Amino acid sequence: MTLLSQVLDFCGVERERLRARWVSSAEAPEFVEEVNSFIDALKTLGPSPLKAKTAKMGVS
Amino acid sequence: MDYQNILTTCTYCGCGCNFFLEVLDGKLVGTIPCKTSPVNEGKLCIKGWNVHQFVQSENRLTHPMIRKNGVLEKVSWDEAFDYTASRLSEIKAEKGSDAIGFLTSAKVTNEENYLLQKFARAGVGTNNIDHCARL
Amino acid sequence: MIDMVKEKIEALFKEKKIAGFLGLREQNGQVAPHLFMEGQALEGMCLGDRKIAGDARYPLNKILVTLARQYPEETFGILARGCDERGLYGLFRLNQLDPDKVIAVGIACPGDLALACECKKPFPEALVAGEKIQAGDSIKAGRETLAAMDTLDLDKRFSFWKNQFSKCVKCYGCRDICPMCFCRECSLECEDLVSKGDLPVDIPVFHLTRAMHMADRCVDCGLCDEACPADIPLRLLYKKTAQIMDIEFGFTSGINKDERSPLSMMGPAPKKVAK
Repeated sequence: MTLLSQVLDFCGVERERLRARWVSSAEAPEFVEEVNSFIDALKTLGPSPLKAKTAKMGVS
Repeated sequence: MDYQNILTTCTYCGCGCNFFLEVLDGKLVGTIPCKTSPVNEGKLCIKGWNVHQFVQSENRLTHPMIRKNGVLEKVSWDEAFDYTASRLSEIKAEKGSDAIGFLTSAKVTNEENYLLQKFARAGVGTNNIDHCARL
Repeated sequence: MIDMVKEKIEALFKEKKIAGFLGLREQNGQVAPHLFMEGQALEGMCLGDRKIAGDARYPLNKILVTLARQYPEETFGILARGCDERGLYGLFRLNQLDPDKVIAVGIACPGDLALACECKKPFPEALVAGEKIQAGDSIKAGRETLAAMDTLDLDKRFSFWKNQFSKCVKCYGCRDICPMCFCRECSLECEDLVSKGDLPVDIPVFHLTRAMHMADRCVDCGLCDEACPADIPLRLLYKKTAQIMDIEFGFTSGINKDERSPLSMMGPAPKKVAK
């Protein structure tokens, strides 16, 4: 994680787009909370620069 | 123990990249691009990098084969030539020259490729000839 | 310089210490890797310097791994620059070579090559010929190259790497030339990660998969950079992963013979040791 987030950052992808958390299978609320907060964070960041690229590739 | 590097030229296309084929105890084990070759300067494409694999491949054809009743069978060269010649003449007579096409290879010599295009154009009378290295 | 190397090799053969010596030889007007055997003259032997120093280096360590897999009982001598020796240490750590079965005959790189390579240690411990050049200047040059990238804006960095990665022709040359790549199954051939026969490659999945896999292995020898037909600055990318490994974990691949990779340890990350 430490490594990958920094490598992504070096290649111009915001490191906030990568997240890894450990949640027990017995902790449903924590899981929901985590996913929701990640979604919120991603919405604030806006669309990924990588996505524009892949979409274009799909058409061609 | 016998390890050697044999300098040779890629058979895949006309660029003429140089590489070494690694031979360990009589078996090809790898390809190393030639650093000092002015042609490719130590670089290769994916085909060049894997060129050692086809030489000893079990999938290589070592005999002429004809599909009889849906099954490929080993046949003699005479039978293969007879069959090919008669079928080509039949098809040409029935459907015309352009019903026949030829596909040749980068792994044979220039001269052999020349012969096949001559055969296609002058012998059979079609321009339907192509080559696997027309990338 | 080459006379000292030859002398050393002849002594090793005489003392029956090695079954063969893996080095370089002038052959058909080209420089080629060659396994010198006992009784065979060392004629034509060279050190891989043609027009400029170190312009004809080959992945000798990779060949050594092939030989050692076939002849695990034999001891081999090998020509080693600083980077090659770092590679040997890495391969010892990863159990691909037995340290007791390898005798390195080391040569030091000249200052201009060290600087061009931004080398961390342009001489091997097993030095036989050449003069030790301290790595201060070349390390500084490496830091500056990375700092220049880091000062770019995020979107500039993104478009820089996007352009670089999109040049890739997927020749797998970076992997095939890499002396530290020895896996029998490669994740770059796993169809769940990399779609077969497709171009352009998945950006940045293809290149970052390799960068992550090489993070604790890459010894910064630069052979991948030299082998890339698309001139992608792979070395710059791997330099960055190496820098992160150093800053976060205090680990530099191939510097210590008895090193252990922080990526293969359980528990909290080891703290960087003050140098």
